[in-house]
Formats: sequence, structure tokens, C-alpha cells
Amino acid sequence: MSSAPPDTLSVRTADNVALGYTTAGVGSRIAAQLVDGLLIGCLLLVVYAAVAAIASSLTGPQAPLLIALIFVGAFFAVVFGYFLVFELVTGGRTPGKNTMGLRVISLDGSAPDATAILIRNVVRIIDLTLGIGVVVMFFHPLSRRLGDLAAGTVVVRDKPKLSLAAAAAAPPVLLRTPDPGPSIDGIERLGSTEYNALRIFLSRPGLAPELRKRLAGDITTRLLSRLDLPPAAPERMWPPELFIERLYLQLDQRLR
Amino acid sequence: MSLDSFITDRQTRWSELEQMVNRARRGRLRTTSADELERFGILFRHASSDLAIARRDFPDAAITEYLNQLCSRTHPLLYRGSPVRLSTLPRAFLLGIPRAWRSAWPYMLTSVATLALGFLAGWIAVYLRPDLRASLVPASLFDQMARGQVSGGVDYAPLAAFDIIQNNIRVALIAFAGGVLLGIPTVLALVSNGWMLGTVAAAVSIGGYNLQFWSLIAPHGVIELSIIVIAGGSGLMLGDAILRPGQLRRGDALSAAARRAVWLACGAALLLVVAGCLEAFVSPSRLPEGAKLAVGASTGVVLYLWLLLAGRRRVVVEAPSLDRAGDAIMHAGGYPPHNPLVKPG
Repeated sequence: MSSAPPDTLSVRTADNVALGYTTAGVGSRIAAQLVDGLLIGCLLLVVYAAVAAIASSLTGPQAPLLIALIFVGAFFAVVFGYFLVFELVTGGRTPGKNTMGLRVISLDGSAPDATAILIRNVVRIIDLTLGIGVVVMFFHPLSRRLGDLAAGTVVVRDKPKLSLAAAAAAPPVLLRTPDPGPSIDGIERLGSTEYNALRIFLSRPGLAPELRKRLAGDITTRLLSRLDLPPAAPERMWPPELFIERLYLQLDQRLR
Repeated sequence: MSLDSFITDRQTRWSELEQMVNRARRGRLRTTSADELERFGILFRHASSDLAIARRDFPDAAITEYLNQLCSRTHPLLYRGSPVRLSTLPRAFLLGIPRAWRSAWPYMLTSVATLALGFLAGWIAVYLRPDLRASLVPASLFDQMARGQVSGGVDYAPLAAFDIIQNNIRVALIAFAGGVLLGIPTVLALVSNGWMLGTVAAAVSIGGYNLQFWSLIAPHGVIELSIIVIAGGSGLMLGDAILRPGQLRRGDALSAAARRAVWLACGAALLLVVAGCLEAFVSPSRLPEGAKLAVGASTGVVLYLWLLLAGRRRVVVEAPSLDRAGDAIMHAGGYPPHNPLVKPG
């Protein structure tokens, strides 16, 4: 979508509904990388300790090279295995990404496959060189690093989960009068769009009274012109805030 | 439709979907029945069309954000690539890598040529400029030659060997991954490795220790250099995809090339284990020099026979069908079979 803010990834599903993802910024991704790096360091210490126990039992002329081989193998197995296994098994969330609320997805919104995960983690070696990856992320509208570009992936934010109950509980509408008043002419011209706009206005707490009055005046002027009322209609005499409340209550009855 | 009736009419479906998503996130999708899976798909389609309605009618309502979250958590569960099956990996390795290597032959040739260029440049530099020799070749090499030690006993310290092996893997990785920077790091890695080998080889040749030197390098070097060439060729594929994307956008061309090249490069890197073992057991051993050279030559023969020949014949498992018969007829008539599912080998 062209109107989407720059850090939003819009993915079309198979039935052509747009899903919106917020992409992760440079800062949270560096933080996630630091956490992962720390964990890899701890893991390496443990693995090295275990490997050293095995290595010390090796003797003979080939021992030095064998020990080196084992250590190199352990190093690469831990460093690559960590990212590969976590991103494959947990749906793109390494522990570091998980703590920062991030995850990897493909550009088409699907879960990345093994090939994509392998690519983005091999290219990491270039991204970490001289901070190239950070520079690329800084300039990329979706904050992708080179590994993401090569793999066709993007890191998005797992927003704090909104529960159905919280989302469904509409904010209370603040009414000063429960009385819908005399029926308004031309109300059939209005529909759910106006209803929802009024509802948003009426459920907004903490508006300064002056401001609320001014806003109500603006809204009322527009609604009156849409209702196409005659110049002498009694509705034009109502104070704007009262007009809005009555219109809301009448629309509420009509649309229910 | 009011927001309230929109929510009350549909929220049972949403919470049913949410429960399924939570179960799937905990890895229990495997144990769900076929009926439930079908219901999962239906519920997702309902939720996504509800999202479309909510976007239009209630763009600012919290329920729209809720539906977006619900759908974007469900989508990757339903749409994903085929999972890795461990049982198919050996076959993919043994047949897939030679196939990928052969189909990438122009890049492999370019990669060899780049390495050879570095080698020749290094060799010529040491030969033509004796005054620069000391700065081009580590002085310790000349000391060793003077003391006649190039034949190589086991005096590798583990730490030095760790560095050498780790460096080889790093070079292979950078040669591949550097492809994303237009292949510039790839070319640099190939040239500099060729250069290093060229200068040392020239110095050794001047000192008259050719046989000892090559017998020390050959057992593991044939495989090692081949891996660096393969990784470099894969990296060149990426760089070429960015420079000449054809009909695709550059980013799409890059990721398509990376998907073709990455298993080749990483699979080849696994062979470094073989090279490492040879480096540990054969290269520093007291075997006669001729035997060491023979080991090197035979690793090369086996490696390239495998790369050139493996996986050439495709085993057709399915029963013959009308389509295949049609393919065969077309093929006999000189037209290539057009079957997008079978990649040319």
C-alpha cells in the first residue's frame, strides 16, 4: 500500500486481504543480536569445556591437529547451529529476538523455509563486518540487512498481544442525556460511517471543554449539511453537543 | 452494521481460531485431526474477510488491530515452505550438489580463473622482484628452508592449526556471502588466496624445495582449494544476479540466485571436514613424498568424478502417465520436454 507508513510491511493473503506488520528498527535488532551473542558466548564456554575434557584424553602425534579440528567444528556448530535451529523451530524467534519481541518472516508473510534461514545466517558474516548490516538497515525502508535481502526475509515486531475481550470492550460512550429527543429529519441519509465517527467523538474522555465544544461545532456543521436540512429547521438551533448526542442515540436505534 | 453487532456476531469464531493458533504455537498442530485442520483454514478465511470489513468500517477500532494480529499470527502457520526431512538430506547432498555445481559451471570457471590469476601474479612478483621477496614471503619460511625443515614434521601447535582451519572456513564463507556486495569480497578472497599460494610456491621453488612443499600441501590442499573455488563461484552467482538481474528486480534476482547457490556453497563447506582430517593425519605424517602426492591426486580424482558424474540420470519413480508419454514423444521429435516440475540436471 502506498499510503502505509514506511516501517509497515503490507502482505496480501491468498484471499487478497492486507495484513499489516510493523518492521523492527535498527536499535531493537542490535539489542537482539547482543542478547544472542551473549547466549552464544555462554554456550561456547560450556561446549568448549566439554570438548576440552575429550581433547585432553587424546595423545599421539596427530593430537594437536585433531584437537584443533574438534574445537573449530564445535565453534561453527554452535555459532551457526544456534541461529539455524532457533529460527527454524520457533517460527523465526531466537531467544534474543524473543526478548525484544521480534521475529523473522518471509516477504510474502509466510514462515521462512530452511533455505531462507540458511542464507540470512551465512550472510550475517558480511553484515557483521564493519557494521555494513547496520548501515544497510539504516537506509532500507523496511530495515532489512543484506542477509534479509538475499534471503527474501524481513524482521517484524510481535506487538503486545491484544486480547479479544480487551479489543471487544468498546470504550464507554459519555452521554449527558439518555434522551434521543425529537426525531431528526433526513437521518436516513446517514449510516454506519457517521455513527462510528460520532461514537469515537463521544467515547473520547478528557477533552478540554472548550476544545470539545469547538470540535462538536465543526462536526455538527458538516452533519447538518449532509442531512440537507432547511435553513429554519429546529435541529439547527440545538447546541452542537446536544445535537451530536441525540443524533448518536437515534442512529444507534436505527442501526441496531 | 454497528461495531457492537459486528463483534457479538463473530467473536465466537475469532476466539475459536485464537485457541487453535495458540495450540499450534505450542507445536500441537501435528496432533489435530484432518477435520480440525480444515476448520482452521475456514476460520482463517472468515477472520481475514472480517479484517477487511473492519478495515473499511471501523479503521480506528481496537477490534481491527485485534483482527490484524490474529490473522498475521495465523498466516505463517498456514503458509510456509516444505519442512526439512532429515531422511532426504544425504540424497540431496550426494546428488544435489553435483547437479548444482554442473549447472553453475560458468561461475566455477570464472572462480578458478580468478584464483589462478592471483596465483600467477604472486608467482611472477616473487620471481621478478627479488628485492621484494622478503616482504612478500614470511621470513620464517626461508629460515625453515635453510634448516631443511620444509618437509614438515608435526610441529603445528593446536592454536595455530585452529587458526588455519578456522581461516579456511571463514574464507569459504566470505567468498560465498560476499556475493551480496556485488561479489567484490569474493574476488578479493579468491585473488588473495591465490596470491598467497603463488608467492610461497615461488619462494619454495627458488629454494629448491618443490617436492617437500607440494607433498605437504597436496593431501588436503586439493579439496580445500576446490571448496574455496566452489564457494567463490557461488558468491559470483550472487554478484552476477545483482549486476545482471534480467527480467527480475535486483533484490528478487539476488534472492533467487542465493536460493540456488547456498546449498552448493554450504554443502561444499562440509567437505572441509574431510580436508581437515587429511590435514591432521596425512599431510604431517612420515609417509614418503610420492605417497602424499598420490593421496592428493586421488582425492582430486574422486571429488571431480563425483561432481561431474553423480545425479546425471534421473530415476523416474512414478508410473508412466499420459503426460510423460507426451513428453517422450515431444523429446523424440526434438522438442525439449516442458515440465516445470523437473529441473534440467
